[in-house]
Amino acid sequence: MEGMEQWKNEAKQWLQQGIEYAHQIPPTQLYAAATVLLLTTLFLLIVRLFKRTKSNTIVLTGLTGSGKTVLFYQLQDGSSHQGTVTSMEPNEETFILHSESSKKGKIKPVHLVDVPGHSRLRPKLDEFLPQAAGIVFVVDALEFLPNLRGVSEYLYDILTKASVVKRKVPVLICCNKTDKVTAHTKDFIRKQLEKEIEKLRVSRSGISEADVANEFTLGIPGELFTFSHCSNKVTIAESSGLTGEISQVEQFIREHVKP
Amino acid sequence: MLEQLLIFTRGGLILWTCKELGNALKGSPIDTLIRSCLLEERSGAASYNYDAPGAAYTLKWTFHNELGLVFVAVYQRILHLLYVDELLAMAKREFSEIYDPKRMNYNDFDETFRQLRKEAEARAEELKKSKHVGKPVIDGKKQGQVKKGGFEGGNKKKSEANDGGDGDTGKSYKLETGHSNGNHVNIEGSRAVVANSKENASSNVGAFDVSKLQKLRSKGGKKTDTVVNKGSNVHPKKKITKKNRVWDDSPQESKLDFTDPLEENGNENIEVVGTDHGESMMDKEEIISSDSEDESEEVGKESKPDTKKKGWFSSMFQSIAGKANLEKSDLEPALKALKDRLMTKNVAEEIAEKLCESVAASLEGKKQASFTRISSKVQAAMEEALVRILTPRRSIDILRDVHAAKEQRKPYVVVFVGVNGVGKSTNLAKVAYWLLQHEISVMMAACDTFRSGAVEQLRTHARRLQIPIFEKGYEKDPAIVAKEAIQEAARNGSDVVLVDTAGRMQDNEPLMRALSKLVYLNNPDLVLFVGEALVGNDAVDQLSKFNQKLADLSTSPNPRLIDGILLTKFDTIDDKVGAALSMVYISGAPVMFVGCGQSYTDLKKLNVKSIVKTLLK
Repeated sequence: MEGMEQWKNEAKQWLQQGIEYAHQIPPTQLYAAATVLLLTTLFLLIVRLFKRTKSNTIVLTGLTGSGKTVLFYQLQDGSSHQGTVTSMEPNEETFILHSESSKKGKIKPVHLVDVPGHSRLRPKLDEFLPQAAGIVFVVDALEFLPNLRGVSEYLYDILTKASVVKRKVPVLICCNKTDKVTAHTKDFIRKQLEKEIEKLRVSRSGISEADVANEFTLGIPGELFTFSHCSNKVTIAESSGLTGEISQVEQFIREHVKP
Repeated sequence: MLEQLLIFTRGGLILWTCKELGNALKGSPIDTLIRSCLLEERSGAASYNYDAPGAAYTLKWTFHNELGLVFVAVYQRILHLLYVDELLAMAKREFSEIYDPKRMNYNDFDETFRQLRKEAEARAEELKKSKHVGKPVIDGKKQGQVKKGGFEGGNKKKSEANDGGDGDTGKSYKLETGHSNGNHVNIEGSRAVVANSKENASSNVGAFDVSKLQKLRSKGGKKTDTVVNKGSNVHPKKKITKKNRVWDDSPQESKLDFTDPLEENGNENIEVVGTDHGESMMDKEEIISSDSEDESEEVGKESKPDTKKKGWFSSMFQSIAGKANLEKSDLEPALKALKDRLMTKNVAEEIAEKLCESVAASLEGKKQASFTRISSKVQAAMEEALVRILTPRRSIDILRDVHAAKEQRKPYVVVFVGVNGVGKSTNLAKVAYWLLQHEISVMMAACDTFRSGAVEQLRTHARRLQIPIFEKGYEKDPAIVAKEAIQEAARNGSDVVLVDTAGRMQDNEPLMRALSKLVYLNNPDLVLFVGEALVGNDAVDQLSKFNQKLADLSTSPNPRLIDGILLTKFDTIDDKVGAALSMVYISGAPVMFVGCGQSYTDLKKLNVKSIVKTLLK
């Protein structure tokens, strides 16, 4: 009890001393100090605000077996090492693209995320989309027609998600496995996808709200759908993960992750 | 002899494969393993069998959850290698020491692995020798049947086996073959071995030994999926003509077909058109109550009695400091509590057990982060696993499928199957109502030709909904009725044909055969299993037997299995929603509809998140 009394008294003394000291400082200095503090905090906040709009995340997505993990490692290391199997978890890394590692100067590292394409793991995509600066949608150009419906449904879902439409995230449709002889061309794939999405558009708009998991609809009603109708930029390119022909993908990444 | 051993990350990159065993694997066993086993939450199982044309493999695996690595060993199924588990465990230990996330090339592991393999094989040899001393004579013919002759030091073994002496290694050989496909019956005296034969349907046996068939018949082997029994059963059945089913001792009725299409006087009063009951609940959004905050606290309180055993202070300390690694014994109390909670929610016991094993396999060895309790970690893992199981593997957009079939100018055929009294006819009418609301023309087919009043029931529904119905009365073959109904639908331009079948128990062989014939003959687009949410452990039995019978009794090479589930009587269970989980887990088919009432609008979609929340509350 006595100890507590003592401590209380000491605390009171210190407080009084502090107040006296504060009174001693001339008011102008106080005001100056306060304004400096305010300005710096404001400045930091503004800087952080601006920084946030420039994210450096690129999301690699597509159906299972289309070659996303191979592309991921090609971009990172320049080789796909010993091969890949079906991914069970997303791969994410922040790195400088392998082809640019020899360049001099300040290059902004890219945060690349490879989301598994297996339908049971689809919900994982929603974790990464809000921070995406660009989406690379990988399509298997070899086994294109058997999977056409699955591909178009997935693409339609992505193009109508709120986080993609509102932020106008650019999408690159990457036709992979073009090193094989029987792979389809990107024009063929584009036309087929547009046709399928047109069908989906018609059938999905006929359904009432609860069935539609899509928050937005695509295209202009009454006209056949083309990718130019999307509010975000959709481009199409070719690549080959196994042989390393990924220049178009890298170009896309460089375009949208500005240094 | 191992075919291959792979080490890969959970993200999909292969880190190391054994270069000595350079055999290319036929088919794609690893991808199939991941898709059908590991992602389906069956990672607690001991092994996985994979069949490809030209090869039959067994795969075993182990995880290193801390580093996110998977170790898989592949070997031929006919060789029952005993050292695989041990080899995997040792490989895991050695590899985790040299693993570095930045490194992609592990060629130095080749040497280590070679030594490990030699050790493991040697140890397994010793174990076999010590176990099987003084066993009966082996059949020399058996050795010739085995395709893989290349053991290490194989010559030595072969000569030993052919001795006819007390074959220690030879006996183990017999054990392997006897264990793997149960059809290899040992001729001389080792009956006990056969008793251990497992249920693996053997597709890798080329020629059948007649002696084996005799042995099986003599034992009265009760394996329904062997060619033998099928062959012996089918013949007598074909000679019996169809008798009327007699349920009790009442005298046989002469006329059973009371349908009289001309007489409609009594039906005019019920002529209420049922098209305007409002929006089907399929099209309404579900309002989910957001009370997720309270749950985590409740969970905490419930699991505290478990942690009290360890001592309050030590558990607090550990939860703050974070223990080194999670061991199975640590996970056990939390898992047991979770399993009990699942069972109180009417999840089948077998399913709850398998799920808990799978979650344990995925958490073992992980570092426990500070400020987390084991129970919360287990809870999070279980929640993720449940969401993964209940998320459909393929699109369940029926309207899209119907439109696709419409383009091809074919009717889309849906067959409703299930046991007695689950609500097939009622829910068929609900589905018809929903489809009508989306401007799709529907036709019903009354293929329940057994139950009295079934045809009239459907006729009433058809009249209320004003859709055509195809019926042939009672005592007709349902398969033929269905075929004719589909032809009729193609003729009059209906988009969808809904086929109602009679309820049948999964053990009833003749009825299941009739169902299989219906499915085989008509090749429907969707086989919908109707199950009630009130069912308990029987759900597992029902679904697995239905699938098994559909596969076995079908005469086509690609049998049709159950494509979707319709869960009925959902409004009668308050929060005991476990039947949905059991059914989805055992069959792999998604839940397409949920029936939640007895009027036309009571049909809705399964809301995965709310079910998971209810299960774990």
